[in-house]
Amino acid sequence: MGSLDSYLPIFVLLVLGVLFAALSIGVSRLLGPRRPHAAKGAPYECGIVPTNELPRRFPVRFYLIAMIFVIFDIEIIFLFPWAVIYDQLGRFGLVEVIVFAGAVFVSFIYLVADGALDWGPARRARSFGSEPGRTTESAVRRVGAAGGRAE
Amino acid sequence: MGDPLFAHGVGLSVVVIVLVRALVAFGFLLVAVMLMIWFERKVISDMQNRIGPNRTGKFGILQTLADGAKLMFKEDLLPERADRVVFRLAPFLSVVPAFLIFAIVPVGGVVTIAHHVVELQVADPPVGILLVLALSSVAVYGVMLAGWSSGSKYPLLGSVRASAQMISYEAALGLTVVTVILESHGLSTRAIVDSQARYFWHWNALRLWFVPFVIFFIAGTAELNRPPFDLAEGESELGGGFHTEYSSMRFAMFYLAEYMNTITMSAVVVTLFFGGPDGPGFHVVRWLWPILWFLAKLVVFLYVQVWIRAALPRLRYDQLMNLGWKWLIPISLGWLLLVAADQISRDWGFGVFGGIILAGIALARARTTARHRRENLGGEAAPGGDGGPVVLELTDHSAGGG
Repeated sequence: MGSLDSYLPIFVLLVLGVLFAALSIGVSRLLGPRRPHAAKGAPYECGIVPTNELPRRFPVRFYLIAMIFVIFDIEIIFLFPWAVIYDQLGRFGLVEVIVFAGAVFVSFIYLVADGALDWGPARRARSFGSEPGRTTESAVRRVGAAGGRAE
Repeated sequence: MGDPLFAHGVGLSVVVIVLVRALVAFGFLLVAVMLMIWFERKVISDMQNRIGPNRTGKFGILQTLADGAKLMFKEDLLPERADRVVFRLAPFLSVVPAFLIFAIVPVGGVVTIAHHVVELQVADPPVGILLVLALSSVAVYGVMLAGWSSGSKYPLLGSVRASAQMISYEAALGLTVVTVILESHGLSTRAIVDSQARYFWHWNALRLWFVPFVIFFIAGTAELNRPPFDLAEGESELGGGFHTEYSSMRFAMFYLAEYMNTITMSAVVVTLFFGGPDGPGFHVVRWLWPILWFLAKLVVFLYVQVWIRAALPRLRYDQLMNLGWKWLIPISLGWLLLVAADQISRDWGFGVFGGIILAGIALARARTTARHRRENLGGEAAPGGDGGPVVLELTDHSAGGG
């Protein structure tokens, strides 16, 4: 398996890296103190006692980004071998890749026009002046005196 | 093809050379990270009119070592709600790829040691630069799983942000790498460096007219989660991002990985666009000059990284996504086609250039359409994300779960 020889140094470095990380974490386990406390084990919440559960749902936009990324990543995967032998393909290779990139670009245009890649708020420039009906009391009512969530 | 070291099979001397190369790179990375953190703190404090670390060693140069020793003696916390296995695995997934990426960077020329032709780089696999992209994708898992397994909301938000950001910029990164391959005709980093050798106008940054270099540099910085793209950490809003729940040496691993990646990404920029170890040499100690040139170029880019961090404020999330998807990806794709067409003939180049202008107009039109739609929808947020306000509202979603 001659072709795999050139990965040998990478494997050596892999072993070194894993050993380094494992050793330093192991040594710190030996050296560090161990004083468990309920507050230390609780999720970090900037000093507030956590009240809410973890979010089970996330904005769909993140999933959308992952899907769109797959499309582009596949395009790039096809481009790598094409680029390596491009000087042999010549004009044929160019026309081929223009058609290919064009097809992907059309779907990209559709995504942009559909707003799939927009992340901003719906209305941009909102006036920063005082909102009528928004006072300290209303904010406390909304957020709750302890900073938790009022239903 | 491949590493000439293995041309005549694997003997004892070859194994020794391999071990030495790996150990040198390993040591170099650790020392470089130590110096880089000190360098960054020192330069930033200069730019901000502060003194910075100055107590440990001359000019505070041992500050990183002191910090590392301190972290070693800290309690290793494992949050109650954490997924125990993944929480322990994540630092490894982050730090090990960081070590590996540097393996393919050519740090010097080619020398002969004990009748073996040795390239001064840890490894020269035929896929070369693809390994960088592959390993940086693995590093995404480290960040993502760290946040997910913490069982805490800020790390979770940080990790989701980070993964979306990293995959968004990976596309632009990949497209610019394809452009480099078009010019250098090879995936192996040694071949890429060799194609740029001898004269500085052979450097890919100049041959490709700087645009791919700029895109690669921006996208690379975004991949690193470094300022101004550090939304995954966002101290002011997320507490610390994906590594909020980590302490002691596990936290140190993330920190180490981040700086190691900064160094490696700068080294990859030097390799792809600035000729790697290429530069004028002299007849005394021939092997040394390329290494010095490489280090000099590396330090320039590390300085630029620090400078960017000191100068630019953090992007907003929609700005970040806009920059990645609506600017960098189309431009890098267009530039790629332009380079490809220009290699065929001037006429094809002009033809494709016209096509790219038309595509740009179409893209601008699409963005206007999207904006109109968004404004017409107004405040009434359609479920499923049809232009409504997209914010990371935790409280709204958790109501059903609790």
